[in-house]
Amino acid sequence: MTGGPALASKTASDTSGMKQASPATRGRAAPDHEAGHPLLDVRGVTMRYKTQAHLITATYRVSFSVLQGDRFVVVGPSGCGKSTLLKAVGGYLMPTEGEIRLKGERIVKPGPDRIMVFQEFDQLLPWMTVFENVAFPLKTTGTLRGKQAYERAMHYLEKVKLADFSHSYPHTLSGGMKQRVAIARGMAMEPDILLMDEPFAALDALTRSRMQDELLSLWDEIRFTVLFVTHSIPEAIKLGNRILLLSPHPGQVKAEINSVPRGEENSNEAAALGREIHDMLFADQIEEARDA
Amino acid sequence: MLEADERPNIYCETLGPDQFGIIEKPLTLAEQIYNKVWLRKIAILIVLALVWELYGRWLDNPLLVPPFSATIRALVTDVGNGTIPKRALSSIEVLLIGFATGTVLAGLLTVFAISSRIGTDFLETMTAMFNPLPAIALLPLALIWFGLGAGSLIFVLVHSVMWAISLNMLAGFRGVSTTARMVGRNYNLSGLRFVAKILIPAAFPSILAGLKIGWAFAWRTLIAAELVFGVSSGQGGLGWYIFESKNQLDIPEVFAGLLTIILIGLAVENVVFRFIEARTVQRWGMQT
Repeated sequence: MTGGPALASKTASDTSGMKQASPATRGRAAPDHEAGHPLLDVRGVTMRYKTQAHLITATYRVSFSVLQGDRFVVVGPSGCGKSTLLKAVGGYLMPTEGEIRLKGERIVKPGPDRIMVFQEFDQLLPWMTVFENVAFPLKTTGTLRGKQAYERAMHYLEKVKLADFSHSYPHTLSGGMKQRVAIARGMAMEPDILLMDEPFAALDALTRSRMQDELLSLWDEIRFTVLFVTHSIPEAIKLGNRILLLSPHPGQVKAEINSVPRGEENSNEAAALGREIHDMLFADQIEEARDA
Repeated sequence: MLEADERPNIYCETLGPDQFGIIEKPLTLAEQIYNKVWLRKIAILIVLALVWELYGRWLDNPLLVPPFSATIRALVTDVGNGTIPKRALSSIEVLLIGFATGTVLAGLLTVFAISSRIGTDFLETMTAMFNPLPAIALLPLALIWFGLGAGSLIFVLVHSVMWAISLNMLAGFRGVSTTARMVGRNYNLSGLRFVAKILIPAAFPSILAGLKIGWAFAWRTLIAAELVFGVSSGQGGLGWYIFESKNQLDIPEVFAGLLTIILIGLAVENVVFRFIEARTVQRWGMQT
């Protein structure tokens, strides 16, 4: 493991510190998330998985809580296990240690209360039109049917400004439009939490910046809760209200900090915060370079 | 030499779209005609027919190669008096039963294969054994088991269709992207609903390819089997028609029979499968 003993002990004390900060949530079966208690509670989650030759620890005892209406961003360099962590929240992977609770319920399998938006463009089903893609989860989970499903799907397609393309097939859309459809599909389900796994990473810089603005204006309108994973520090500062920093290989919590207020992502504070995050994330590498 | 920092900033006015002579221009008629695939293919067919006709006349031996015109005459006569349509229908009926049964069995086998590891092993072992085995080699056994008649034909057809389709379906199911699978599971899809709503459409290009291969195998197997014995309840198929005509030295009729087989094959390929492709994989952008 690359993290030295000093780092490990620091992370451990951080974790215990957080536990002390929220003793009220412990020992209660269903915390009242409406009154500011966590909607999503990740407690001491260690993720391990096997490849052909190795047993890999992706994250080590990661803890954090997401409140209702949070734009919670997990940021870290590649290999810090942030995607693995998000898949665990999605219910696709089980933690080897610790637990994840949504509204007090333990997460054991994927479900439509946590809709995932992926980075890959093939998350849209190519055999369905844009409208059918958005309506598919509504119908297939039995949430809504018939006219109601139609109205809900069209409502969210209008929100992402793609109502005119509702009868197009995904392969005729640009990358940015595909991601907007995926976001509309996720939001149409009105899940407890939207999980976004670097959804803008495959887009060009201009489209990416526009998509970030659109996501924020959607949030202003609907105030959904989102857990967003990225490796881009500026994206984290722009999109998040709360930022979790993970150290690389295995991912451990480095810090959990507030971002700058909305609309100030170009201010001096934002730049200072960016430098601070950068220094924290890459401190190990600087030390390693010095040692070598 | 100009120093790098001496270069001035340059700003330009761009022209509006109305100030261009040509942005889009339709192709000429000749170009448009040449771009039609079916027209090019028909041209090829006409050339082949001409070569055949000329060779037939030059050879002047209708017992070996009757000219194209004689074949067409025989074809028109036998289509007119209902012989060929009756024989063709009899073949197609058996073919469809065999093909449909084989496809359904292949589907069941593949679903079993993807749902368990032992199922995968089973399918892989079975296809490894039986795919290289020509269906026609099973005909003698089939005759003993099912007797002279449609039963034996359907048995060999199912054998010829099933393995090719299963192999393609399995490859298609395995090729479904992890993202598409995760999307399906996100919406609580599992079991047969997952297969029907995610796996089958996502693997449809492979499944369709499998159906095409299966169809070609079935058609060949059927004609070959009918040549060996074609009579079921007093009425044979196209293979039997060819065999009969040859025995009576009606060689133009033999060619007419072959031509019918080709025409039906072409029709299924270019009309039925093309139609399905245009409605599915091409519309979905899974195939260009």
